Amino acid sequence: MFRLILGNKNYSSWSFRPWIGLRTAGIPFDEEVIPLYGEGSKENILARSPAGKVPILIDGDVRVWESLAILEYAAEKFPAAQLWPADPAARAHARAISTEMHAGFVALRSECGMNMWRPPARKALSDEAKANIARIQALWTDARDRFGAGGPFLFGRFTAADAMYAPVVSRFETYAIDVTAPVAAYMDAMIALPAWQEWRRAGLNEPWVIAKFEDHYPDVKRLKVDA
Amino acid sequence: MKLIIGNKNYSSWSLRPWIAMKALGIAFEEIVIPFGSPLGNPDFKARIASYTPAGKLPALVDGDTRVWETLAILEYLAEKFPAHGLWPCEPQVRAEARALASEMHAGFSALRSECPMNIRRPIKSRLLSAAAQADVARIETMWQSARARSGGPFLFGQFSAVDAMYAPVASRLDTYGIEVSRDTRDYIDAVMALPAFAEWRAAAIAETWIVPEDEVDWPTVLTA
Repeated sequence: MFRLILGNKNYSSWSFRPWIGLRTAGIPFDEEVIPLYGEGSKENILARSPAGKVPILIDGDVRVWESLAILEYAAEKFPAAQLWPADPAARAHARAISTEMHAGFVALRSECGMNMWRPPARKALSDEAKANIARIQALWTDARDRFGAGGPFLFGRFTAADAMYAPVVSRFETYAIDVTAPVAAYMDAMIALPAWQEWRRAGLNEPWVIAKFEDHYPDVKRLKVDA
Repeated sequence: MKLIIGNKNYSSWSLRPWIAMKALGIAFEEIVIPFGSPLGNPDFKARIASYTPAGKLPALVDGDTRVWETLAILEYLAEKFPAHGLWPCEPQVRAEARALASEMHAGFSALRSECPMNIRRPIKSRLLSAAAQADVARIETMWQSARARSGGPFLFGQFSAVDAMYAPVASRLDTYGIEVSRDTRDYIDAVMALPAFAEWRAAAIAETWIVPEDEVDWPTVLTA
């Protein structure tokens, strides 16, 4: 069985991607959370992967790191889970936007860190972050228009591309980003996923506060699980 | 198939799919759209917008299909040309190759910003920040470990998509005279000895466009 090594569920956006991808696709795995920036956590992660970063997938002798590479590995090993769209043109598009996420949107990522327990509130954003948000809304809407007829997700049914953007959905919600109606509908579909709710519950119950990921540290307001 | 690329001297992202297709024998037509600011082509953004919605190069156009982002282009080619060896055949090895390729795609930002690809610049060493030195150390470890297992000369034996992903890094380590191990040097030499690399290099040197942001010695522009 697969084992996923993850960072904090409240903060680790990269961990969230393969986790929600595998969970929603029904691929079984067990998991281990290594709280980031804690005592020994760096050594602990390095012992499992030479890149020294989470997430990591362990499958017997195989160790895969980088969330996109993990999703590709799972897609090959479990073709019936249909992690990528079946149509080649849709699949190419899904990989292009997933890769755009993988390497991009740096301003949004640094100004609006994933922080699931932060009560939703606006924050002043740079022009670069606003441009990131505009591009993401455009690419979501374009994918939904062209490939989304069969369901509420980017390519109709849930795929790895949705997994790659799940943390962005969370950020848009947390930082109360103004979005168009179609984008809001897409975000609602993502947040309604049982896997989303399961991850969020676990994140909100975590005890570990990381100062540099909190806007108003040491003032840390936290949503309750049932909020 | 058309591959839309930027300046050969500077565009490291463009080199990746280009060298993969050349070295692996996939036929394509290339369209070069040089970067705009400030001395090149001011229509840059408008011209690439007609090929790709993300507004970035490279882009691949195959009939009605438009693919952007280097790694997504390589995956598209791997599916379309399964016999051309874009990825290693063995699933475990392929997983590792994809991890290395993804790590390149999203990482090593210190090295990338301090040592922009600049093919025509004569070799001249440059001091690196601690962050860029850490990037180099990680890259050397990764290359050495992959080549020790595969036996070389490329990361997974034969040239594959992952070597294409790291080709601009090989060029940078060479251009900026970065001190590397014997093993790393052998790998850099193997990449630079590819006929496809020599072809790209010759075209890059023949280009006349200058992009100050990518000239670390600016206002001096070192040329061979």
